Amino acid sequence: MKQQLIIITALILLIAGIGYLVIDLFYSESGASDNPYAYGLNELRKSDSSLIDYQEIQHFPAGLSEVYGIAADPANRIYVTGANGVEIYSPGGEKISEFSFPDTAYCIAVTPDGNLLLGMVDHIEIMTPGGEILSRWKPESEASVLTSVATDGTDIFVADAGKKIVYRYDREGTLLNRIGKKDSLKGIPGFVIPSPYFDLGIGRDDELWVVNSGRHLFEAFRPDGSLISTWGKTSTGVEGFCGCCNPSNFAMLSDGSFVTSEKGIERVKVYLPSGEFKCLVAAPDQFDQGTRGIDLAVDSEERILVLDPWRNQIRIFIKKGENNDEK
Amino acid sequence: MRSLQPNLTVNMNNKNRRLDNMNGKGEEKRINRRKFFRTGAQTGLLIGLGGIATLAARKAGSNEYVWQLDPTKCTQCGRCATSCIKTPSAVKCVHVYAMCGYCDLCGGYFLPDTKTLNTGAENQLCPTKAIKRTFIEDPFFEYTIDEEVCIGCGKCVKGCGAFGNGSLQLQVRQDRCDNCNECSIARNCPSDAYSRIPVDQPYLLKGFGQKNLDIK
Repeated sequence: MKQQLIIITALILLIAGIGYLVIDLFYSESGASDNPYAYGLNELRKSDSSLIDYQEIQHFPAGLSEVYGIAADPANRIYVTGANGVEIYSPGGEKISEFSFPDTAYCIAVTPDGNLLLGMVDHIEIMTPGGEILSRWKPESEASVLTSVATDGTDIFVADAGKKIVYRYDREGTLLNRIGKKDSLKGIPGFVIPSPYFDLGIGRDDELWVVNSGRHLFEAFRPDGSLISTWGKTSTGVEGFCGCCNPSNFAMLSDGSFVTSEKGIERVKVYLPSGEFKCLVAAPDQFDQGTRGIDLAVDSEERILVLDPWRNQIRIFIKKGENNDEK
Repeated sequence: MRSLQPNLTVNMNNKNRRLDNMNGKGEEKRINRRKFFRTGAQTGLLIGLGGIATLAARKAGSNEYVWQLDPTKCTQCGRCATSCIKTPSAVKCVHVYAMCGYCDLCGGYFLPDTKTLNTGAENQLCPTKAIKRTFIEDPFFEYTIDEEVCIGCGKCVKGCGAFGNGSLQLQVRQDRCDNCNECSIARNCPSDAYSRIPVDQPYLLKGFGQKNLDIK
């Protein structure tokens, strides 16, 4: 009797074991599709929704096949450039005009007199909004990669990711001086630009702000190249910048706050003029994974214009709770 | 590449000699049981050698092409590490130095949430610690791959591509690959990144042509 019990127990265990093997081999969901070496950014992509102070109110597609730069003028017209042309949109997103050229422009800015500054692959152009070329010049090096242009109304500043330097020109294209070269005596750390994301802009006191993306720093300069101040924090948290080279782009609000965009962990944030993190404009889950080169502009209504090159869209964000009926 | 053509020639000479014997040149044509079995054995041997010769010819032909993966299609799924018949895999991380930013905070070297940028094992992304970090000058670091240790998992490639220029790329290292007729990684590749390419251009690197291949 005892022997029979042992045999029956052994048989039950054997059947259970075979059943487990069959289920594991043929019906288990895990296995081949799992990646034991998965690279996990998903945790870092998560964000606290209470930190998002902005909402997307509108988006519309760009007509260019590739888009790289966005700008706004005092009348809140939106200028988009990229492959072979410039498109001009009304504040509401209706296309007003467009013109084309054979090159690709990687950056755009609007001058106080309403003309356009364009950074092409290897040269700078000043054009009228109708597409007429007013001035055109080349930087001194063939290795230049022009990624950003800005003007304080007097001078023109051009960021060169290839040579890791900022050029200051007059309106005729005469080089006045170079800004940002490493100089330990003057406390200038030098630009570290591992990838072609090197942005600059003009602050509310006409100071020049440059992103030293390899060091995760914002650096402010006077036109003569002397360093005023820096801020920035390396962190994978929402309050800092991470990866090899971030932020990739920025724009400035009227109170001197910074709107930044990043690659790797795609997000748009606002920092106070002191450099303290303020809020999120758009969280990583609002972008397609892998999106990079998110250019930014701010119009006179403090609307944040986000150029999404992956979706080929212009996306408009405003502060939550603001009345948008008249915009 | 190893050519099988000389062996093929020897086999063909043997084949001609045996054909002569089978035709009975210089021997009487009387068929007896011994000759029947001998002929049968010779025929079997001939068929066997013919098969080997055919396989050898096919192998010689296939050696003009090698397996390679296209980094533009690669999704770093990890199967290059687990599906190769070789241990460790013949797929390795290759560093295209011309594309590298020599970053201090290298996305291919450090774990995403690393707090301190040093070579501590707890900070490293590579599961086998196959990447060596060397200080060049402030703030630049060079990263080299120890291929003996690299298992081709692609984790560093994913990290480099997420934040950096994508200078770390997976490639089939031809000196390690057995060039199987049916590559088991290619069979399991979910993004169809594997293809046969000419042996004289055995690497496919994203962003740079063959002339710029700088594998240390």
